[in-house]
Amino acid sequence: MVASLRGVSQTMATIADELIERRGHAASATRRRTNFVIFLGPAIVLTVLFFIVPVIIDIAVSFTDLGRSLRITAFTTEQYEKVFRTDRRLTQVIGLTFVYVFGTLAIFNVTFGLILAITTTAIRNVSGSFFRGVWLLPRMSPSVLYILLWLWAVSPTEAGLVNQVLMQAFGLDAPLDLLTSAPIALIIISNGFIGASMGMIIFTAAIRGIPEHLFHAAAVDGAGTFATIRFITLPALRWPISFVTIYQTLSLLVSFEYILLLTKGGPFYDTTVYALYVYRRAFESGQYAYGAALALFLIVIGMVVALIGWRFFDMERLLQRPRIEVH
Amino acid sequence: MVTQAAPAMTMAPSEPEIDWDSLASRARLARRTRAVVLYAFLIAVSLPIILPYFWLVTIAFSARTGVAETAVLWRSMAVVVPVIVGFWLAAALARNRRQLWFGFAAVAAVAVVAFALLVGPDLHLGNFIFLWEPDFASVVRSRVGEVKGAVQFPNVWHAFGNSILIAGAQTAIVVTVASLAAYYLSRFQFPGRSSMLRSLLVLHAFPVLTLIVPMFLMLYWIGLLDTLFGVILVLVAFELPFAIFIMKGFFDAVPWDIEMSALTDGASRRQAFVSVVLPQVRNGILAVAVFTFIRGWEEYIFVFTFLIRNSNWTMSLYMYWVRDDVMGVDYGVVSAVGVFYLVPSLILYMAAQRYLMQMSVGGVKG
Amino acid sequence: MAKIEFRHVSKRFGAVEVIPDMDLVIEDGEFAALLGPSGCGKSTSLFMLAGIYLPSGGELLFDGHLVNEVEARDRNVGIVFQSYALYPHMSVRDNILFPLRFKKTPRDEALARVKAAADLVRVTELLDRRPSELSGGQQQRVALARALVKKPQLLLLDEPLSNLDASLRLSMRTEIKSLHEQLGVTTVLVTHDQIEATTMADRIICMRAGRIEQVGTPDDLYLRPSSLFVAGFIGSPPINLVAGKAEGGTFTADGTRFPVVGASGEITVGLRPEHLRFGEAGFAGRITQIEPMGREILYVVETGMGAVRVLEQGSFVGHTIGEQVKVAFRPENSLVFETKRQKLIVGAHVRTPA
Repeated sequence: MVASLRGVSQTMATIADELIERRGHAASATRRRTNFVIFLGPAIVLTVLFFIVPVIIDIAVSFTDLGRSLRITAFTTEQYEKVFRTDRRLTQVIGLTFVYVFGTLAIFNVTFGLILAITTTAIRNVSGSFFRGVWLLPRMSPSVLYILLWLWAVSPTEAGLVNQVLMQAFGLDAPLDLLTSAPIALIIISNGFIGASMGMIIFTAAIRGIPEHLFHAAAVDGAGTFATIRFITLPALRWPISFVTIYQTLSLLVSFEYILLLTKGGPFYDTTVYALYVYRRAFESGQYAYGAALALFLIVIGMVVALIGWRFFDMERLLQRPRIEVH
Repeated sequence: MVTQAAPAMTMAPSEPEIDWDSLASRARLARRTRAVVLYAFLIAVSLPIILPYFWLVTIAFSARTGVAETAVLWRSMAVVVPVIVGFWLAAALARNRRQLWFGFAAVAAVAVVAFALLVGPDLHLGNFIFLWEPDFASVVRSRVGEVKGAVQFPNVWHAFGNSILIAGAQTAIVVTVASLAAYYLSRFQFPGRSSMLRSLLVLHAFPVLTLIVPMFLMLYWIGLLDTLFGVILVLVAFELPFAIFIMKGFFDAVPWDIEMSALTDGASRRQAFVSVVLPQVRNGILAVAVFTFIRGWEEYIFVFTFLIRNSNWTMSLYMYWVRDDVMGVDYGVVSAVGVFYLVPSLILYMAAQRYLMQMSVGGVKG
Repeated sequence: MAKIEFRHVSKRFGAVEVIPDMDLVIEDGEFAALLGPSGCGKSTSLFMLAGIYLPSGGELLFDGHLVNEVEARDRNVGIVFQSYALYPHMSVRDNILFPLRFKKTPRDEALARVKAAADLVRVTELLDRRPSELSGGQQQRVALARALVKKPQLLLLDEPLSNLDASLRLSMRTEIKSLHEQLGVTTVLVTHDQIEATTMADRIICMRAGRIEQVGTPDDLYLRPSSLFVAGFIGSPPINLVAGKAEGGTFTADGTRFPVVGASGEITVGLRPEHLRFGEAGFAGRITQIEPMGREILYVVETGMGAVRVLEQGSFVGHTIGEQVKVAFRPENSLVFETKRQKLIVGAHVRTPA
């Protein structure tokens, strides 16, 4: 009897415990949900609203005839026909884009960035930071101002800085009009001055990360300046170089700000790269639907490159499990 | 090897006697040549950058006629270049700290005197007229005669205010939202966390400029086109993935122990976040804030596309239109606006340089 | 092979003077060890020998020739770094081959020499691996092979054993020593570990704060340390140092007295733990700590003049904590220093040093 009573009371106690625990679970589930909403809610709403929705809008609009009137009158695939068949200018634009992207990348963003990183780390630290600081100036300047300086420098009159130097120091007779005679070179150089600094920073950090003993060992083993660069520095920069190449390809491909400011894509369409072409079609000619169709290709490329970018990040570190389980 | 090595080293009859002195002088020469070549190269490639900026500043503070003068530029270069060389020489020749400071002081004193004599008389603040005269355009025009198309300029302080508003609001929202989200992603286990982190990685590298057309249409349809609020929302959203990514890195670095001890001391996770973890990531918040602010301050393409009325102009648009309108007419005023627009950016960059460097390099595998 | 000379060599890094004035001769074929605590300038001296650092002043001579400014690659030295500094992206073979690349050695001969060097340090079967696939000891051997393959006139070892575990350290010690005996190459070892220095080197250069404290054989440093610093640095467990006063052949410190030879005034007496033993006579104390170390037992004894370490041979713990004991020693085993100048007056087992 006593034993059974004790049994009952024990059962009661277990039930009570379970009830408390369940209530606890319910409470923690609520807290879990509110935490999610409080912490992640705003970010998710903004991201969906301004990344996902625009992509959907872009796809939708590209199948309409949305034009200057900003009104949709029909659903059609004519925009894509235009892309693949009727728009003759597109071939020229794509060709130019290749020249621009790979020209800038090969000359400035990678090669010159690398040269700057190697040379500025080879001299005394103070001087090295000074020169790196100089090369960061263009990146630190607002785009409008940076391009203003370019416009003045290459001004076709005798007052232009380039012309002054050429005429006074090198005995040139008449001022040059570089904006009409060499516009492609100009957009490559003006973008390259900015692009080089990104490579410079990343490569500098990577070079700093090479153990000093390796350089010492190479010096003792008989390697000269160039052998040291070839056998010690460059092998250590394999990852940074591919990182810079991929990300700068993407950013050159989609950006047109400096070109728009410098040449407005001209003369005529001579410096209109693909991204700028999208912009001009949409906002200059008011062909919003066509612009949306063209932009879709860039969006796809952007996503693909961003996916490739996964390779560069330490997934394990990114995904490491939180060590506190309660919410 | 053992038995061969030793004799091989001592025999080597073909090897001529080593001439240590010529090796030493060759090394000396190589070292000097290397230094000269390196510095010459770096100076040569840096001049094309320094020169235009220097030009901007000299014109802003010295131009009187509105023409692009270079006389002052060359004269001040004649002071600056020897001064820099002087500093270098002082640094190279000084044997101890006292000599170094003495050398610097001497060079600086000479520089000040030379500058005052050669450039000083030309300096004035007249080109900053736009700061106190809203209708400076007419003043300038009357000075040089009638010119092309008249853009109606708003008061520069109005544009300045708009820029501060956009950059400030954007910064406040981005920092808040990104800190919350980054903390949650870094510290909470929940279903879908890993896929969310992966999409964040994609988003942070995704080029937002490609969305400009649909974004324009979206703003138009919801009636936010040509409003500062619309622009702020767009810029916030675009900065967000990158900011979350960076902030997550900072949160990841906070030791778990202090958070665990906060929990055992009776705090809830929210309380632990506010009172224990947030103070640990102050540097991260600072870095993200400065970076976002600069982006807002310098933003051109989106405001140019989404803002139309001149009462909505930001500094970048103001700068753009001043240059477009007065271009070729009054270099002095344009330069002055340029200096006024550039200086805040530079100051912010310099102040936060250390953190920004970390940010741009972070995440890349070695 | 080369004879190395430092003549008034100094080294500054900016405003920091690491080595004020260094004079040193290392004989041809000698195995010398630079010994000292971290930051004493021993690695800096080594890097000056290698040509990695340039001396700020003075003369550095190889076989009587001034080499101050000669580039590292022209000096024909081999060096093994603490971190081994193997080129991470090259195979072991390419790592060892690397120094020969720049000597225009014919390919066949170069490969043969790589093979020979690898055989010498027994890494032949690892030639196709990457450094990251090797254990610490293997990396160490590869680094040695790389340093030896060019038949250097001078071999430099910068803390080569400090990244190895204890047992490996022991065997590498013997191996490096026998390598030196086989090759006869002048060798300079940098270490902060006195046992490494005393077991491997013919001669030890003990350094402190950029200055040479003492140069001598391991025996010299043990029996006749020129200063309190060297006495404290050499020997494990460390020497007991007791400061007090000597008068008429009796030493007094905090009430404890014992006889002392050949000195008077303010002196410090150094008693090595292994020279102390428990006995019927001697100064009194109480055992406060017992540390069995295998073959030996270390007792810490609280005496009138402070804690004293006593090392007893054997593995049998014959005493208990709290036990009252008497500690005795032979006066000729004690070291006597002048307290003020911290210099040696009387060494162990010998007459006053000249």
